[in-house]
Amino acid sequence: MKPTISRLVQRVVLPVVAIGAGMTAAYALAQQMVGPKTTPPSAKEVEQRKSKGGYYPERMKNPNLSGHAYKMTVTPPNEIPLDRIKLPKGFKVEIWAHGMPGVRMMARGTKGTVWAGTRAIGRVYEIKDKGGVREHRILAQKLNQPNGVAFQGGNLYVAAINRVFRYDGIEDNPSVKPVEMTAAFKLPPDVHHNWKFMAFGPDSKLYIQVGSPCNICEPSPEHGQIRRYVADGSNMEVVARGVRNSVGFDFHPKTGELWFTDNGRDWQAENSPEDELNRVSKMGQFFGFPYCHANGIPDMDIKKKDPCKGVTLPVALMGPHAAALGMRFYSGSMFPKEYQDTVFVARRGSWNRSQLFGYDVANVRATPQGKNAKVIPFMTGFKDDKENKFWGRPADVMQMPDGSLLVADEQNGAIYRVTYQK
Amino acid sequence: MPRSESARRGANLRRAFLFVSFALAAATAAAQSKGDPAKGEAKAKACAACHGEAGRAPLPMTPWLNGQLEEVTVLQLVLIREGLREVPQMAGMLDKLTDPDFFDIGAYYARQAPPKASGPGDAKRRERGAALAKSMGCNSCHMGDYSGQKQVPRIANQREDYLAATLKAYRDNKRTGPDTSMNGAMYKVPDADIEALAHFLAHHNQ
Repeated sequence: MKPTISRLVQRVVLPVVAIGAGMTAAYALAQQMVGPKTTPPSAKEVEQRKSKGGYYPERMKNPNLSGHAYKMTVTPPNEIPLDRIKLPKGFKVEIWAHGMPGVRMMARGTKGTVWAGTRAIGRVYEIKDKGGVREHRILAQKLNQPNGVAFQGGNLYVAAINRVFRYDGIEDNPSVKPVEMTAAFKLPPDVHHNWKFMAFGPDSKLYIQVGSPCNICEPSPEHGQIRRYVADGSNMEVVARGVRNSVGFDFHPKTGELWFTDNGRDWQAENSPEDELNRVSKMGQFFGFPYCHANGIPDMDIKKKDPCKGVTLPVALMGPHAAALGMRFYSGSMFPKEYQDTVFVARRGSWNRSQLFGYDVANVRATPQGKNAKVIPFMTGFKDDKENKFWGRPADVMQMPDGSLLVADEQNGAIYRVTYQK
Repeated sequence: MPRSESARRGANLRRAFLFVSFALAAATAAAQSKGDPAKGEAKAKACAACHGEAGRAPLPMTPWLNGQLEEVTVLQLVLIREGLREVPQMAGMLDKLTDPDFFDIGAYYARQAPPKASGPGDAKRRERGAALAKSMGCNSCHMGDYSGQKQVPRIANQREDYLAATLKAYRDNKRTGPDTSMNGAMYKVPDADIEALAHFLAHHNQ
């Protein structure tokens, strides 16, 4: 939706920049030269523009389902209603870090530093544990949705829409200047559904998704996929195709296979299609977008014969409009045995649905081959079903070395820590 | 559309409407508690040079802030402070301001009377703009009277030059909000249509 080559370059030419008499005169001239039409557009004209994607007719189907406001300001910890969070017996939650508006995807360094990306506020946060108290600083800012963070070999990788940066040896040298890797990765400039998720695989390669830049469309050959690169940005390979908008993946602790979440399309129905949890068992596997959604639901707009033929169906359905985002397998020793090798999935919560859905962390239990999956809500209480309101939006989860689980709440700019004691 | 689906959609719409009403009521209450307009008035002194006394900007291409929603003003101040929306005239001015300062400033402007249309405008251009606004679903987010909601600005009777320039900036991807909704909404909309829209919105209460 928003082709961005460089936000900086674009911003330099912002019309707001050019306030003043000169611009006003130029604007008046342009207005005179173009000359507004004096007749309203005909129904045919409107249809033509819609078919060219020139308008946004989808929002008109239900004007009241147009998304929730972003919270871009600091939430003091005393305004976070921690007592509303519900967990299974024996689990406890605390506020681990706070004061970081828009906090989303997390990565951890070998020396214990945690980094978190954001979208709208353009920042990357760095969090350090200072003797039981966490302190944070803004590591990077003014980036275009720097959602992706990953760590390997002492280096932090940060991905914005189409830019990639590497901070070499950052845990030893906090003021290190980032190396820009953008040219090597050649990511497309599209913004919509292209805020990146990034993780290193057991093969030491860097996995990055390139989403489909639309709600529903035939994506170009460079969109709608998960890729992997050698860490320097070379040797790109497509790992999974037919992906709509994946903002979370991890590797199975036993098989090393890539599993990923994918957000289902909007504006098809209240309860369908559901979000997916997928497993990649072969390189380049096709996961159905845009023809076949969830567990075999044909698309209502983009039709083809046998839409689900050749499509790898999901391990689990994650719920309608749930926004299943960050996910991690659990391999720690703190939680009870039944959580071993299961998946924790942050469900940021719906906007394209009358009754709120998601707003929790779910636990998915399945065999290593992805059979007999069960989705069990794990960390809930972020929404009130009766009032149909929410106060928190889990966007990512991350296991700590002691086996506790960090949960990033984008709405409150806080990271929670979930622990277990018998 | 089968009747049952139509009925269900109607019920959903009503439910959604109720939800939005509640959400708005809650948002209003929250907005009232967030900022202190008296403190905001003092903090907004520096803004007055360009945005005018009580937010009624005398300068071309400078938005009127009077009557703007508190959440809108706060969001835009955050975007400008963070360098995500570039306004050179404001460069550095917000660096030392905190989120609570923004709430106070937002609360101050939200309590000023919203702008009125400067005149009747051109009937034919208004008509075309009204038809466009309807076909593009501007009311989906900006509300039926274009008074805005939550982070979505009041655009009724905003300056015509500023409205047109802003819509073009969204179309040309020179500006984004916290998401890309407006870039999607303005995708490939021709200049003439944008100017008709701006004319209609700037002469709304006539």
